Amino acid sequence: MTTVTRRRTKLLRSQHIFAGTSLTPIMVYMMFFTLLPMIWAVLITLFRYSPTRQGGFLGLGGGNPFVGLRNYVDLFSASPNGQLFRIAAKNTLVFALLVLPLNLVVTLPLAVLIESVHQRFKVIFRTIYFLPTVTSLVAVAIIWGTVYNPTFGLLNLALKAPGLPGKPWLSDATTRILGVPLPMLCVILTYVWQDMGYNLVIFIAGLQGIPEVFHEAAVVDGANAWQRFWRITLPLLRSTLTFVIVMTMLSSWQQFVLVDVMMGHGGPSNITRTLVLHVYETAFRYQEMGLAATVAMALFLIIMVTTLVQMRLLRKEWEY
Amino acid sequence: MDKKTLSRRDFLRLSALTATGAVLAACGGGAPTTQPSEPGATEAPAAEAIALRLWSHQNPSFIAANEVLVTKFQDANPGVTIAYENFPYDQFIQTIQTSMAAKNEADVMEMFGSWVQSYAKGGTLSEAPTDVMSMSQARELFFQAPLDGYVWEGKLYGMPNEYNLENGAVLVNKRMFEEAGVAYPPKWDSWEALVADAQKLVKMDGETMTVAGFHYVNGDGLGFLYWEGVLERGADYFADDKIHLNFLSPEAKETVQWLVDMAVVDKVVDPFTFNPNSNWVGSAFFQGLVGIGFIGPWIVPEGRRNYPDFADPWEYVRSPYYGAKMSFAADAGWGKVVSPNSKNIQKAWELAKFWTADQANCRAWNVATGTVPALKSVAADPTLLNDLNWLGPSLEVLPYGRYVGMLQDRDYVWYTVIATRIVECMQGMRSVDETMTLMNDETNAMIDSKIGG
Amino acid sequence: MATVQTIQSAAHRQARSRRQDAIGLWIGRILVYGLLIAGCLLTLAPFLWMLSNSFKSSTEIVRLPPTLIPEKPTLQSYRTIFTDPHVPLMRFYLNSIIVTASVTGLILFTSSLAGFVFAKYQFFGKNLLFTLTLATMMIPFQVVMIPLYLIIDRLHLVDNLAGLVVPAGVSAFGIFLMRQFIESIPGELIDAARIDGASELGIYGRVILPQMGPALATLGIFQFMGTWNDYLWPLIVITTTERRTLPVMLTWYNSQHGSRYDLTMAASVLVILPILIVYFLFQRWIVRGIALTGFK
Repeated sequence: MTTVTRRRTKLLRSQHIFAGTSLTPIMVYMMFFTLLPMIWAVLITLFRYSPTRQGGFLGLGGGNPFVGLRNYVDLFSASPNGQLFRIAAKNTLVFALLVLPLNLVVTLPLAVLIESVHQRFKVIFRTIYFLPTVTSLVAVAIIWGTVYNPTFGLLNLALKAPGLPGKPWLSDATTRILGVPLPMLCVILTYVWQDMGYNLVIFIAGLQGIPEVFHEAAVVDGANAWQRFWRITLPLLRSTLTFVIVMTMLSSWQQFVLVDVMMGHGGPSNITRTLVLHVYETAFRYQEMGLAATVAMALFLIIMVTTLVQMRLLRKEWEY
Repeated sequence: MDKKTLSRRDFLRLSALTATGAVLAACGGGAPTTQPSEPGATEAPAAEAIALRLWSHQNPSFIAANEVLVTKFQDANPGVTIAYENFPYDQFIQTIQTSMAAKNEADVMEMFGSWVQSYAKGGTLSEAPTDVMSMSQARELFFQAPLDGYVWEGKLYGMPNEYNLENGAVLVNKRMFEEAGVAYPPKWDSWEALVADAQKLVKMDGETMTVAGFHYVNGDGLGFLYWEGVLERGADYFADDKIHLNFLSPEAKETVQWLVDMAVVDKVVDPFTFNPNSNWVGSAFFQGLVGIGFIGPWIVPEGRRNYPDFADPWEYVRSPYYGAKMSFAADAGWGKVVSPNSKNIQKAWELAKFWTADQANCRAWNVATGTVPALKSVAADPTLLNDLNWLGPSLEVLPYGRYVGMLQDRDYVWYTVIATRIVECMQGMRSVDETMTLMNDETNAMIDSKIGG
Repeated sequence: MATVQTIQSAAHRQARSRRQDAIGLWIGRILVYGLLIAGCLLTLAPFLWMLSNSFKSSTEIVRLPPTLIPEKPTLQSYRTIFTDPHVPLMRFYLNSIIVTASVTGLILFTSSLAGFVFAKYQFFGKNLLFTLTLATMMIPFQVVMIPLYLIIDRLHLVDNLAGLVVPAGVSAFGIFLMRQFIESIPGELIDAARIDGASELGIYGRVILPQMGPALATLGIFQFMGTWNDYLWPLIVITTTERRTLPVMLTWYNSQHGSRYDLTMAASVLVILPILIVYFLFQRWIVRGIALTGFK
């Protein structure tokens, strides 16, 4: 072997050693606290398990019998759990599909607007719009609960001033706008309010990354602001857009706090029951952890599939 | 560059913070709490130190009541220390179950009676030792309705502190009666009479109801009224096998029709503005939005605490009943249960007994929490009304109640099925027939899934 | 003659169109600022409502119709919370700070190191491992809550602040974010350092880390926010009141059937305030940090 190759081999080896010794403990650490519970969760989907029943080894067996794929079959059956699962799945889908465009329609133009103002004001606007995101989601749910309160809430107070009628926003199970129940729309609105800061900041960063020369050149060519947005800004933001779309959907699939705290456990008639809420209630109120884990597996699959599809569709170079 | 060095310093600062934090966490976390270190303490004399953990939910009156008894028990049992922790109600179940999974739940827990049977059935509660409390003793001491919630397959798994009573008396706002010119105190010989009075108390602001005449549209109330309605019409809400429920009997349908009609036909309450999720009766009454409210006397301390400036005079008045005799079903209320994983089971049971079966302690607890006593001797105590002066009418009806029975999943039946579906019917979503069928199917499917195994 | 006129009218036209442009610009600007300010008011409204409610007395807060600004502003709610013997408020703050700082520090370290390896090293199964890492972000917490609790219990960390810190030491999101950023650091820098004889660890410490100030600050802030606001997990792990973290205050005054709104609002203000302060102090790092992660 020549000196060069020997050194390169030695270099390669020391690289591998470093990679191994630094990554392995981190990965093991993480997998211990995430993968291990995941495996347990997958395992109990094959059992009828509840912590309130005495079982055998690790709580399984005995009062918590092995039931094979029965929990999975139950998701598609006419049992109450199956029905609730399908309702929850539908609600979650509606929620995720409505949040995404609403969020984008709010945050992207907002980012463009903020970027167009004077430097001094940019910071102020950015800060204010980011405030909801900094706030704990539980606090947000509580605050908005008092906003939507039909008797002494802010919304009805504001509506009554010019004489408009107040409404029981969160408890009216019958009113629908374009087929979407009113409480669901309220949850969506609150969620977008809380979440917009995050996407806003990302978009602003993305916009800041577009070199000025592109815009200047477009202006010289006679393009107006609208054309500039569609032809220059949007295409150059594609990677940012992809990231935002994927991350927004990822977190909206897992919506729990708002529908639990603000809507009081899913609201009337389960109209805002989401999949994660269903998991939680099945596990702790109905004491069927096995079923709950099954629903969680279903949710996991849904998320996996939709994320992969999104990534493929948007042809994002994840590895930037 | 400035940025680089600054960020490096920041990083070093953060690592120092982490290290300090980790050390502090290890120290500040301290040893695990009062896990009793002495194994198998039997009736140990004062010399042995025993630590017991007591858990309850976070209700200020309950906390105060429990703390008094904690001190008293510790004084009477030197060598025993009680670590008392309380939890937000919404997360209480989750905390109990998670710790049960790890077998490190508290020694004594204050559980809501209707949860007890499913935990007992699952084997995660300790059975009362007969030398502390035997079945026959318990039957003598406690009312049947609350006690039966703590019994499973003939064995006793805890003792009730509270008779969770909702029926028999309703909360009325005296000022509204007088303002509307309705005879006070009201003496209703039938539900029609109550409805007639309630209609006079309703206030409208255009299309919106601002004051409800008779507000019974809440999660607990609808269930209780349903059981009572069916029982008083001479039927049973259970099916013949006593395991499933029967919502298809004519009596069941009549009851639901009556409940719906009061809102939709008689218009004593607007189900859109007054329902379990909006203007809940416990708050709405003390805000002056309700003339007659259907809610148990346990609400009084909470109402007084949350609405200290509510000045309208109010009291409980005997409610009418259907048919010849009053007959209702009650939940088992809050009480004490013991964990089978406790290292001091005997002492833990003594604690439970101290709370629930000692007349003086019970009385003090019931007065502090404003709950109806489950202990017969406390209910019979004539001086009780000096402290809980609103309880008179409710105490009269105690003997007419029976335990609601094993519903497999009480909350599901009560809130998810009955309350939800009846409110939906009131709001025009379904007919009464459809509602009965739906409730029947949903409930029995749940029961099947629980017993099917 | 005609030429001069043409030139003059051309100049006129130019001046007029410039004026029109200027007016258009002004209208545009007013519109933009108007929209932004309106949006700000909508964004701030719930906060101001919460703040206003926290200064209402317990009677005013349930009064109908409700008031926008308290008629008799009072510090009663705050006083109640501060003097409540069951609420060791300062301990809650302290516990939250300890846990949050520890977790943030741990995550910054593990994420940057792991992100570095994922970004700049090749090894068998790298992509699979990375996908697995990402997949852990897709599991709802409610389902892994119990097994995680069982693990913590076996480690004897229940009812202990360490039980909150230890399982949170590695974040898939953090690794992902760091990887994205580090990938944009030119390989030549690393190669140059290697040629200069730096060890791999040295490269991490002296080449990578200094470049990552803003990214670390970004991840740090997000992690700080996330850990500070964590509500569910601390609620099950910690059972002793003195060891609880701050978010437990949010539902402290909730009872089975409703809550003391004045106290709940005041408690919410107290929980949100520290985060707001941290945010205000460090917010310029966030955007700069995200911008430099290369999301263009």
